[in-house]
Amino acid sequence: MRVALDHLSKKFGDVAAVNELDLEIRSGEFVALLGPSGCGKTTTLLMIAGIYRPTSGTIVFGDRRVDDLHPKDRGIGMVFQSYALYPHMTVAENIGFPLELRRSVAKSERDERVREAAGRVEVGDLLERRPAQLSGGQQQRVALARALVKRPDILLLDEPLSNLDARLRHDMRGEIKRLQKEIGITSIFVTHDQLEALTMADRVAVMRNGRLQAYATPDELYARPRNRFVAEFIGTPPMNFFPAELGSRNGSVVARAEGIEVELTRAQLPRGEARQATMGVRPEHLSIVSPADGNVTGEVYVVEPMGREQIVDVQVGERRLRVIAPPGFTGRIGDRVGLRVAAERLHFFDPTSGERLS
Amino acid sequence: MATVVAPVPGRSRWLVLMPYVVLALATLPILVLYVWLFYSSFFPRVEGFRPIGDLTFDNWRFLWDPASVPQMRNRPPVIPLTVNTLLFATLTSLISLLVSSMAGYAFSRLRFKGRRVFLGGVLLLHSFPSVTLLIALFVVLRTLGLYDKLVGVILVQTAFALPFGIWIMKGFFDNIPWDLEMSALVDGAGRLRTWWRIMLPLVKPGLLALGILLFVEGWNQFLLPFVFMPSGSQQTLSTLVRGILGEGRFVDYGLLTAVGLYYIAPVLILFVLAQDQLMRIYSGGVKG
Repeated sequence: MRVALDHLSKKFGDVAAVNELDLEIRSGEFVALLGPSGCGKTTTLLMIAGIYRPTSGTIVFGDRRVDDLHPKDRGIGMVFQSYALYPHMTVAENIGFPLELRRSVAKSERDERVREAAGRVEVGDLLERRPAQLSGGQQQRVALARALVKRPDILLLDEPLSNLDARLRHDMRGEIKRLQKEIGITSIFVTHDQLEALTMADRVAVMRNGRLQAYATPDELYARPRNRFVAEFIGTPPMNFFPAELGSRNGSVVARAEGIEVELTRAQLPRGEARQATMGVRPEHLSIVSPADGNVTGEVYVVEPMGREQIVDVQVGERRLRVIAPPGFTGRIGDRVGLRVAAERLHFFDPTSGERLS
Repeated sequence: MATVVAPVPGRSRWLVLMPYVVLALATLPILVLYVWLFYSSFFPRVEGFRPIGDLTFDNWRFLWDPASVPQMRNRPPVIPLTVNTLLFATLTSLISLLVSSMAGYAFSRLRFKGRRVFLGGVLLLHSFPSVTLLIALFVVLRTLGLYDKLVGVILVQTAFALPFGIWIMKGFFDNIPWDLEMSALVDGAGRLRTWWRIMLPLVKPGLLALGILLFVEGWNQFLLPFVFMPSGSQQTLSTLVRGILGEGRFVDYGLLTAVGLYYIAPVLILFVLAQDQLMRIYSGGVKG
């Protein structure tokens, strides 16, 4: 089912937690609301769920306006960050609770559907346990089963993975994504973890201070961030930024920054007039070469081996740039190295507004 | 599992025992009184702490042969009084529990107009000594035709118990994570059902503890039954004890101790059985 938010705002006193949010989620789509804490993503989710009433704006499910409807009439299932399992009920009673409230579902059918939902998330053998007797991962699965058992049109997940340990988080990431595609249910999840958003979602809505910063596919967010905030927020380690001057030389555009001078291709050229800009380059688009071959030289500040790769901080003038180096890199602290910049991978932003320039 | 207490280095054993010694000394007078009360009821006479005469059940005759006890002659028999007291204590605690758990939930979870004023008002009521309201209550009960009726006193006692109950229950509800409630709403429950199916079971320890406290308070209540139910048949055990004590010419201490013991026995038993529950009201423990 399609979900459309139109000029949605929520104020708590004078503070606008969500400000004029427009967002459309296609039927069957898996969308992440991503942003730092306090950006309004959970508030948005709770408005969609019907727990918070919007201060202004509308929420539409399919063709139906729902912003005045009670949560129970919206056809949603929800998984909470804390899982919110009812501690005094068994797993079976927890999963069955949404059905227990529907008179149209007979006891025998309820049992059947509880078993089916539990089986789908592989907790079928835990039905008689209580939540306190389950591991974090099992609780998460039970919460998913409870959210899905009434066959909702829309699935909402609030930070579904943040209470799990790193290993389990990775497993559940894949499982939730697969489950969502299997059922084909329109799903919205909230996360502060860009990796979760990028790996799981079809599209990611990046929010800051209650406003939508970008809404695009993970690839697009990574390759062409719409503004500096998005560029900085997406990608680990984060993008390097420095002030640059754009000018022309011999008919082509060049960017100069910190002794780096790069010739730009026509596609990325921001119109061509001389101006100031913030230049951004991701660590994976810088490579370490011999001092003579680089666009710029610097001194190794620190090396962090990560197994598959190494993160090398290189001091260039006043600035320290993060670079991803292959595991074979053997430089030590204090070594002089050259850095090669992949010119076609550079990003330019307006220094004041932070908007993308190309 | 056995707990091994390691000796604290640099601290003598005496220092560890100190709290126990202090507590024991502080409790001793009460303990002595209870022991005295107990054996006094089984002897014809006690002078100071020394029992006189042989062991006897004479003092307990009021239970099976009230006619032979002069002080009991003009009073309703003990059994109906006990039933009255039981009714009074049970009904006041049940009604208070129902109302406090609903009001406590509302104060904890709903944002309605005047919430803060109500909460403050409830606290103010709690600090009101009931004695100051006796005359006003008398007028009210007379007007409503509830004077000298058990129902009237039950209502008054319930009203006095509510402020405390509401605050205690609000505290217990405050401890339940909001997520649980939101989850119930999304799962399709309304407010009332959320309260009944999700919230109430989670504050059960609180309900039990509060219920016991209210029951004991009702059981011990003397002033309200004494003032508002002057005629015999509706009285409670506390008024009987006071009646025997205030008999005028001479007080039969043997009878008094026996009736007194009979009166406090249910409360003592209740406390022994429900210690764990009562502890929780102060630690406010709900596992989320």
